[in-house]
Amino acid sequence: MQTFAIEALSWPKQGADLRRQVRDLVAEHVHPANPADLTNCWAVADPKFSRTLGQAGLLGMTWPKEYGGHERSPLERYIVLEELLAAGAPVGAHWIADRQTGTLLLRYGHEEERRRWVPGMARGEIYACIGLSEPNAGSDLAAVRTTARRDGDGWVLDGQKVWTTNAHNAHVMIALIRSEEGSERNAGLSQFIIPMDAPGLTVRPIYDLTGGHDFNEVFFDGVRLPATALLGVEGEGWKQATAELSLERSGPERYLSCLTLLTELIRAVGPSPSDSIRTLIGQLVSETWTLRLMSASVAAQIAQGQDPALEATIVKDLGNSFEQAMPALIQAAVETDLASDAALPIMLGHLLQVSPSFSLRGGTREILKGIIARGLGLR
Amino acid sequence: MNEQQHMLTEMVDGLFAGLGPSATIEKNWPQIEELGLTTLLLPEADGGFGGSWQDALIVFRLSGYHALSLPVPEAVIAARLASGCGLQGRGTIASRSDGRLEGGRFTGTVHGAVQSAGAAYIVAPATDGGSIVLSTEGAQRKPANNLAGEGRDVWAFDGASAFAVTEDVFELGAFARVAQIAGGLDAALGMSVSYANDRKQFGRPLAKFQAVQQSLATFAGEAAAANCAAMGLAQALDRGNADYEVAAAKLRANRAVGVGTSSAHQAHGAIGFTKEYDLHPITRRLWSARSEFGGDSHWATVLGGKVITAGAHRFWADLTALTD
Repeated sequence: MQTFAIEALSWPKQGADLRRQVRDLVAEHVHPANPADLTNCWAVADPKFSRTLGQAGLLGMTWPKEYGGHERSPLERYIVLEELLAAGAPVGAHWIADRQTGTLLLRYGHEEERRRWVPGMARGEIYACIGLSEPNAGSDLAAVRTTARRDGDGWVLDGQKVWTTNAHNAHVMIALIRSEEGSERNAGLSQFIIPMDAPGLTVRPIYDLTGGHDFNEVFFDGVRLPATALLGVEGEGWKQATAELSLERSGPERYLSCLTLLTELIRAVGPSPSDSIRTLIGQLVSETWTLRLMSASVAAQIAQGQDPALEATIVKDLGNSFEQAMPALIQAAVETDLASDAALPIMLGHLLQVSPSFSLRGGTREILKGIIARGLGLR
Repeated sequence: MNEQQHMLTEMVDGLFAGLGPSATIEKNWPQIEELGLTTLLLPEADGGFGGSWQDALIVFRLSGYHALSLPVPEAVIAARLASGCGLQGRGTIASRSDGRLEGGRFTGTVHGAVQSAGAAYIVAPATDGGSIVLSTEGAQRKPANNLAGEGRDVWAFDGASAFAVTEDVFELGAFARVAQIAGGLDAALGMSVSYANDRKQFGRPLAKFQAVQQSLATFAGEAAAANCAAMGLAQALDRGNADYEVAAAKLRANRAVGVGTSSAHQAHGAIGFTKEYDLHPITRRLWSARSEFGGDSHWATVLGGKVITAGAHRFWADLTALTD
């Protein structure tokens, strides 16, 4: 039995050049006024920085040139992602579009919709959100009730999504919607691509416990969509959406949200910290090194056209557990005045408050462990 | 895996499955010799397999998976390090030496010599880096055992002929334990999953209980981490320098032992705690492996020290430079 399929990983030869390009760009552009913005940075939106990345050819990297992409390899893209996250760059605006919406449109979208959205995503100008959760469909996603009803050639949407990250910055949403009246559970669902400025669509903010604005409620009140808005095959929405989850779950953002905190810890404690801090740093670095291999290995398997769903789920669960544990471990090891305006306490204080969300977003820990258990053959 | 590695896996898996924890050196070592397994890392020109560290990972991991009671990884590493010394017979490795090496003669003690009764030579870490290869002729062995009842002997040498080699046997011993932990955890996980599917309580299999599912899912993550750490370390050894990776990998694998063994025993209930049941040959080896060739604190201090000395601005750059 080998739970986690792992092959020796070969990194792209031009990796070091690519890293240098990203590091130069970060050095020039990433200087947030508040050090808290360096943490959990894939929730920090900065459209100007997103456009800068687009101009540098660092978005839509694996997409065809025909749609504004750059036809680079998935591992080259992986290098860019990990560099941006490790530096705490504000990648929130474009993150979802670049990670999955563009890819999904290219895979399943009508040609008109691809032309309309994908090139802007690659330029860092068009942002996206994902419409999955609803008030009574959280972990139990198959309970979605938002409906799409046929209307001539097109569709009319009614219902509500919730916990929709980035809806307030997004130009477009891909949503999982019940398209067959009277259907139950995961049958009769379809995916639709929805412009966020469509008449009848409203976005309301939900503020998190820090007062931050990351997620939203999205209401559909007779939203009309053309026939081209159906993504892929009618009724196959569940299969398409769950396949998308491998993309959503396996990325380096699932373990790197707190890396800047570790870097700041190393800086703050200086060259001769206590033995306990030295061993804590060793332990956190060991975990980071291992998770990087695991995460990149999944990326490589996806690049080869495999669907390492179990591996991706394991990486997300381990990654989330690690990045969630880190702030508390550091708080326990270092005497800190959380009211101080030094970088370490500011970053630590922010992460202590937002890290509970790490094992909620993209599938709760309990759901992930259930998926892993099934993958192990527990019947 | 390439085709040769598939063949190696198949051959070694079958052999080790048959030998398992009850094999003895007296009875079964000839089977290892017959296959030429101890020459795995010797160049083909010298009659070896010409294998890589990634090939070694396959063999070492399977020795952990099957709780093999023969010192195969140790003999493979010893043969590689002693290849220029002109020594014959089975070699093994040790985890520490105390003493003086002068003019090709060593006087002092060697600790943690793995199943060294009858060994022709021992490769031990030198006190100032690198390793020393010691012939056991005329030396005194004081037997000692690890938790699994395997020899971890102490030797006294008095002016024994010794060869200094530059490779660090402590690092390579740590690699062997990482690989064995990876295999052992996968084996214990497999047993736990089967047991949870078969054993019924309250009218249904244990596998139906969410608490059991969650515990074994956590275990699976730890087994996965240990296996990935082992692969990352093998790749680093093949690249030629693994000082950083050995610390990171052994520490990660050590931590996985804690979660994995407790989860495996919890899933098995009381039966897993008995002498007759086959879980303890795996878990007792895992508990031993966690301490051998560097415990958590040792490697955390080494790795933390490296990162702190380099400074915060080098942390991510150094980590990524390992693979670029």
